[in-house]
Amino acid sequence: MSSRFSGSAAAVTETALPARRLRRSLGSRLASGAAPYLLILPACAVIGAVLGYPLFFMGRLSLQHYGLFQLIRHKGEWIGTRNYSHILHDGLFWHVVFRTLAFTAAAVSLTMVAGTLFALLLAQLGSKMRLLLTAGLIFVWAMPVVVAVAVWSWMTDFEFGVGNWLLTELHIGNFNHHDWFANTWSGWAIITLLVVWGAIPFVALMVYAGLTQVPQELVEAATSDGANPWQVFRDVTLPLLKPIFVILTSLSIIWDFQVFNQIWILLSGQPPPQYFTMSIYAFTTSFQQSEYGLGSAIALVMVAILLVVSFVYIRQMVKIGDAE
Amino acid sequence: MKARIIAAVVLAAALATVASTATGSTKRASAQQVVVWVMTDAQNGWPGAIAAANAQFQQQHPGVDVNIQYQSWDTVLQKFDAALAANDAPDVIELGNSQTVKYMAAGAFSSLKAKNFPNSSTWLSGLKASCTYRGKLYCVPYYAGARAVIYRKDMYRQAGVKSVPKTYAQFLAANKKLKKKFGKNRNFSAFYEPGQNWYVATTFVEDWGGHIAVQEKNGKWKGTLDSPQAVKALTIFKSMVRKYSRASKTQDEAHPFPSIPFAKGRMASFIGNGWEWPYVFNPKGGAAPKSFEKKMGAYPMPSHIKGQYMPTFLGGSDLGIPISAKNKQLGADWIKAFTGTQSETLIAKAGNIANSTKLANVNAHNPSLAPFAKAAKYSWFVPMSPNWTNVENSHLLKQMLTAILTNRKSVQAATKSASKQITQILNASQ
Repeated sequence: MSSRFSGSAAAVTETALPARRLRRSLGSRLASGAAPYLLILPACAVIGAVLGYPLFFMGRLSLQHYGLFQLIRHKGEWIGTRNYSHILHDGLFWHVVFRTLAFTAAAVSLTMVAGTLFALLLAQLGSKMRLLLTAGLIFVWAMPVVVAVAVWSWMTDFEFGVGNWLLTELHIGNFNHHDWFANTWSGWAIITLLVVWGAIPFVALMVYAGLTQVPQELVEAATSDGANPWQVFRDVTLPLLKPIFVILTSLSIIWDFQVFNQIWILLSGQPPPQYFTMSIYAFTTSFQQSEYGLGSAIALVMVAILLVVSFVYIRQMVKIGDAE
Repeated sequence: MKARIIAAVVLAAALATVASTATGSTKRASAQQVVVWVMTDAQNGWPGAIAAANAQFQQQHPGVDVNIQYQSWDTVLQKFDAALAANDAPDVIELGNSQTVKYMAAGAFSSLKAKNFPNSSTWLSGLKASCTYRGKLYCVPYYAGARAVIYRKDMYRQAGVKSVPKTYAQFLAANKKLKKKFGKNRNFSAFYEPGQNWYVATTFVEDWGGHIAVQEKNGKWKGTLDSPQAVKALTIFKSMVRKYSRASKTQDEAHPFPSIPFAKGRMASFIGNGWEWPYVFNPKGGAAPKSFEKKMGAYPMPSHIKGQYMPTFLGGSDLGIPISAKNKQLGADWIKAFTGTQSETLIAKAGNIANSTKLANVNAHNPSLAPFAKAAKYSWFVPMSPNWTNVENSHLLKQMLTAILTNRKSVQAATKSASKQITQILNASQ
């Protein structure tokens, strides 16, 4: 089941190579020794060009005062680590960091729980309903973010939104001219709902694919030993699907940590500070205040935090890869 | 497993890619092209003026293509910054008259000679000032706009409002009657004021003698929205808006454009720019039938001081030639064609104030647009600091208004923290 993941495949090749190498002559050993590096060279070159260079450039920018004046002259002003010390003493920055982490935690847990529940539902459904649900999930997944957010922003619109109209018609309360974003909590609830809604299909379908690979005899054995469904899930399914859950969780963390479009479009491109996440803070600092150096520093700190947060999960994945 | 680490970095560094891909590239097939960035307002409101300018330009330069790239206010500065960084700036760019100072101070524009441009001796002084930095001219006035109250004559009549308000007290009395008559409709606003429309809120501040910021003798700026005059004005503004407006308190006047709910009968009045009058009928705007115009009227917002109007924000646009433009001469020639009498007359007829006082009377006999010209008699403008754009871009005035109107903060507390931030931004070093 885990052979679909490059991790275990890589582990296999790594252990297989040295054994083969020993049996060869020196000449062919040199040639074949260079071969893997030659093969990986194009990939490294591409990554270096599209990722390494921008990161390097951003790192350089973060050590400069780079405003509009410098931008027009294409020449920054070196200021050492002043941008970073500015951030560290900026109260808003720490608020934003904390908020981004809290949002990520909430969105990722909701996504994982709801996605798993959908997967379990898929496994229980008859073939027709399963097809219907899968189609629905695929539609959500296939919807471009910008379109999805536009639809949500119309649904929650203050003046003409169908959400307010429906809630009022259903006599849930008077939601006429209800402003969902006036209260920060309800605003964040809408944003979280939108992000989780968009992320569920991927998790649901991946976990469902995993579920189909769980050996049925294990489940039957556990059931005949008197395990209830929850125990089966906890003691049989969960350990078997652990690699999938670890990967899905780390991917979700990476995605939710840098949510930008949803908030940006819902709030008409001018989110107030209580709706800032780190990516929005970096963007507005760069592009609206023309403080490109400071913006780069914020972005790099964000990369660092993300690396720390996902390190735990990445190490887990490496471990799983090694074990198999 | 390196792949996962790389994936993490790829995704986290999305910002780096935002920075490198957000550049609005201006495609340039040959040198025989002039690239022009103007706002979509021209595309929607006065396409005829663009066509006339292009025709005139091409008579002078046969074979040169005019590549008009319409921009939106939300993103134009971002794109312009990116284009400047990439040495790919357009030959002509339109900027708002409150945005020009930042770019002039940073050296983004080539300097120009006024006498080379049509009607330069009669340019509106306010616009000319927004193009002048340290005695030099860096852009050409394009058009200005004043705001007035656009209202429903039929609703005013039905509510028993006999004549348009001449004083602020009469304005309040009219709204009271309108609310009584139509207020049962939960979507109805006697006076529709999106909470983040800071142009209107500042109009109140200026009418009561306050300002957003003042420059002190030593050249330093000081945010003054917490002055007694400004606090008084905003308190009056807050009570009026909370009583008579059911517009969103967290949105500005572009989300939605007030002309849209206006055309749907959801209000008796709003304060709008001249161009918002025709926008009521524009398919992208209110899409009202032409017959709706019979029910519409406009009047300058009356001041609390007898016989005066509330000062209106003298907004406007200018056209500049970026320092790194490839075809500066062609750019200048296109600006000449576009700001000449012929095009400017068409721009004025679309509900604007032309760039030259020579054309002040274009709308004098148009009863719907004349009140806007009258309103411009009293006007205010933003602080002329290179950092002003950063105040606008930080949206702190909008957020201050939301905090005040939703009662999240008192007027005193909200203005105090906003003034502090304004002082800080305006005095920041370049």
